[in-house]
Amino acid sequence: MAIAVPKRRPALRSLAQRPWLTRLIVIAVLFALWEVAARFLVDPLFLSPPSQVIASLDKVFDTRGVPAALQLTLFELTVAFVLAVAIGLALGLAIGLQPLVRRSFFPIVLLLYGMPQVTILPLFILFFGIGAASKIAFGVTHGVFPVIVTVVAGVQNLKPILLTGARSMGASRWQIFRHVIFPHMVPSFFAGMRLAMSGVLLGVLLAELYVSIAGIGYFTTLFTQNFDPTKLLGLIGVLAAMAIVLNAVVRRAENHFARWRAE
Amino acid sequence: MATSEAAIRVRGVFHRFGDEGEQRFVRALADTSLDVAAGELMCLIGPSGCGKSTLLNIMGGLMAPSAGTVEVRGQPVRGPLPRDIAFVFQENSLFPWNTVIENIELGMTFQGVSKSERAARAAEALAAVGLKEFAQHYPAQLSGGMRQRAALARALSLKTPILLMDEPFGALDEQTRMILGEDLSVLLAQSRKTIVFVTHSLGEAVFLADRVAVFSARPGSIKQVIAVDEPHPRRPEFVTSAKFTSLRNQLYGLLHDEIRKAVQQSTAPGAGAEPA
Amino acid sequence: MAGRGASRLIQAGFLAGLVVVWYLATTRWGVNRLLLPNPVAVYDNLSDILRSGEFIGDLETTLGELAAAFAISATGGITLGYLISRSRYWIEVFEPLFAAVYSIPIILFLPLFVLFFGLGPASKIALGASISFFPIVINTIAGFGHVDRLFVTAARSMGASDYHLFRHVLLPAASPVILTGLRMGFTTALLSIIGSETLASLAGLGHRIVHLAEAMEMARMFAYIVFVIAIAVTLNAVVSRLEAHGKRD
Repeated sequence: MAIAVPKRRPALRSLAQRPWLTRLIVIAVLFALWEVAARFLVDPLFLSPPSQVIASLDKVFDTRGVPAALQLTLFELTVAFVLAVAIGLALGLAIGLQPLVRRSFFPIVLLLYGMPQVTILPLFILFFGIGAASKIAFGVTHGVFPVIVTVVAGVQNLKPILLTGARSMGASRWQIFRHVIFPHMVPSFFAGMRLAMSGVLLGVLLAELYVSIAGIGYFTTLFTQNFDPTKLLGLIGVLAAMAIVLNAVVRRAENHFARWRAE
Repeated sequence: MATSEAAIRVRGVFHRFGDEGEQRFVRALADTSLDVAAGELMCLIGPSGCGKSTLLNIMGGLMAPSAGTVEVRGQPVRGPLPRDIAFVFQENSLFPWNTVIENIELGMTFQGVSKSERAARAAEALAAVGLKEFAQHYPAQLSGGMRQRAALARALSLKTPILLMDEPFGALDEQTRMILGEDLSVLLAQSRKTIVFVTHSLGEAVFLADRVAVFSARPGSIKQVIAVDEPHPRRPEFVTSAKFTSLRNQLYGLLHDEIRKAVQQSTAPGAGAEPA
Repeated sequence: MAGRGASRLIQAGFLAGLVVVWYLATTRWGVNRLLLPNPVAVYDNLSDILRSGEFIGDLETTLGELAAAFAISATGGITLGYLISRSRYWIEVFEPLFAAVYSIPIILFLPLFVLFFGLGPASKIALGASISFFPIVINTIAGFGHVDRLFVTAARSMGASDYHLFRHVLLPAASPVILTGLRMGFTTALLSIIGSETLASLAGLGHRIVHLAEAMEMARMFAYIVFVIAIAVTLNAVVSRLEAHGKRD
C-alpha cells in the first residue's frame, strides 16, 4: 500500500534508520523507570535504584569471600563446559556413527534430555558434597545432552553422495571420518556448544544458589536475609554479566566455524 | 582413435535391488555386455530407470553386480579402483566445507598422492578446466556449471586412465551444458582417456561420443551400439551438420519406444517389470 | 528389518541391567543406604505416598503456582507480542532485546523475588511468569511478524476490517508458531517453579524433596523424585499433544 509518507523531523528519521539506537533508548527508559520506582515508590528494603547499585559495586567486591566465590563460580563454569563438550562429543560420535547403537540409545538420550533435572539437585549435593564438584557435575549433566543431540544430528544428515565420492577416490575409513564426517559435523557441534553453554550456566548457577552455606549461594542468602537489595542486585548483576559474556564468546566461535554453511 | 584393446569389459551383468516379493524389488539390469575400448568416449543413453547409472557404478566397483563380471584393464573389479577410475557425479559431490583447491587436494590425499606433488597437480587441473581464479572459493560461492568444472578438475587431477561420468551436466541449463560439452571434448582430445558418460540428452551423446550404447527400458540391456565417426575435438559446427542430425534421428528412433515403455512402467502398479 | 527388533532388545536390556545393578549395589555390594536407597524401599515409599494421598497438598501448591505463572506469562506474552508485531520497526527493536535477556539464566533473579515477595507462592509465580514470558513473546512476535504480506494484501483488497484481518488471517497464520511458544513457555514455567521451590520455599513438590534430603530420608526422597518426574513428563506430553492438535487444524 503506497501512500505518501509524511516528512519526518530529521531526529526521528535518523532514529527510524537505527533500530539499535531505539533499543538503547528503550533500555535507558527501563533503567530510568527502575530508578524512579526504587527511589520514590518502593520501600528501600525491597528494591534499590540502579544508580545506587552501580555506585556500591565496590562494596560488594569488598565483602569478604565474594571475589573468591565469583572466581570459583567462573572456574566451575569453565570446567563444566569443557567436560560437557568433550563427553558430549565422544558420546555423540559413538552413538551417531553406528546405526544400531543410535537406534538403541538415542531415544534414551532424548528421554534424559527432556527430564526436569532440577528435581535431582538435592541428590547431587548429597552425593558430591557442597564444594565445586557437585556444581560442576550438575552443570555437566545440563550441558552434555544438547551436544550429544547436535553431534548425532550432524553425523546423520551427511549427504550420501559425499561418502560415495570419497569411497570412489580410495579413502580409508579413518580418512572418511577425518576429512568427510568430522568437518561436516562441526557446525552442528558448535550449535550444540552454544546450547551447552546455556545448559552449563543454568546447572552451575542452580547448584550454587541451592547451597546456601558456601559459595555464591551463601552470599545471595545473606544479602536476602539482611534485606540488602543493593548488594544483592550488584552480585546478581555481576553474575548476569558473566553469563552474557560467556554466551557471546561461544556464539562468536560458532559464527567463525560455521562460515561455510552459506545457507 | 580407439585401439582394439578393451579398457572395460562387461560380461553378462545382471543386477537387482531387493529380493523377490519385497516391495522395493526391481530388476535393474538384465544380461548386459559391453566392451569399452581404451581411449574412446562411450555414451550410455536410455530411458529413466533403465539401469545406466547402475551399470556405471558397477563398472567403477562401487557396487557388486548380482551376476556377471566386469574387468578393468584385464583385472576383475572387486571394489573401487581409485588409481584406475575417477568419477564425476551429477549431484554436487564437492565437500562444502573445503575450498575448491582443498577439495582437489583432498581427492589426491585419498588416492595416495604424495604431498609434494599435490599442489602442482591441483593447479594444473584447475587451469585445464578454466577455474584458476576460483581456487580459494567455496562451492557455495560458485554457479552450478563452475561446481561441475571443479568436480571434473578433481577427477582429472587423479590422473586415472578411465573417467566415469554420471550425467555430470544433468542439473545444468542448456547453455552451460553446451559450453561444458565443447570444453570437455577439447580436454579429451588432449588426454586420450577412456570415458564412459551417462546422459539423457540425445544431442549431448552424439556430440561427445565415439560410440553410443542405447539401453532398453527396465530391466536394462543394451539394445544397440551406434558409432559416431567424427574426430575429436568436435567442432561446434558439427552440431548443425547433416551427419549429426541423422545420427540424432537414429538415436531418437531407437529410444522413443523405450521411453514410452519406461513411462508406463513407472505409472503401472506393482514391482519391476518382467523382461519381454 | 532385523535392526528394529535388535535395538529394542538392547534398550530393554540396558534399562533392565541398570535396575539390576541398582538393586545389587544396595543389597549385595554394600553401597551406603544413606547414599543410594534400596529400589524396593523406594517402590514401597512411592506406593505409600500415593495411597495415603500425602502428595496432594504439595501437588496443589506446585500446580497452582504453575497455573498462575503460566496464565500471566501467556496473556502478557501474547498481548505484548501481538502489539510489537504490528510494526516492522518495533520488531527489530525488541526482538534482539528479548532474545538477549532469555539467553541468561533468569533463575539468578530468584533471590530478588524472594526478597520482594517472601518465601511464599508469590515469588515462585513471579519468577515462573518472568521466565516463561520470553519464549511466548518471542514466538508470538515471530508468528505474527512473519505472516506473508501477500495474505494481508489479499484480505485488505477484499475489504477486510482490522478485526477480520486479525481473526481470519493473522491468527490462523500465526497460531502454529504461537502454540510452540506456549508449549515452550509451559515447560519452562514448570521447570522454574520446581527449581524455585527447590531453592527457596516452604511448600510445594520441590520443597518436599529438599526437606526429605535434609532429613536424609533417601527412599522417600527417591520416591518423590520419581513422582515429580512422572508428573512433569505427563504434563509435557499433554501439552505437546495439545500443540500438535492445535497445529493440525
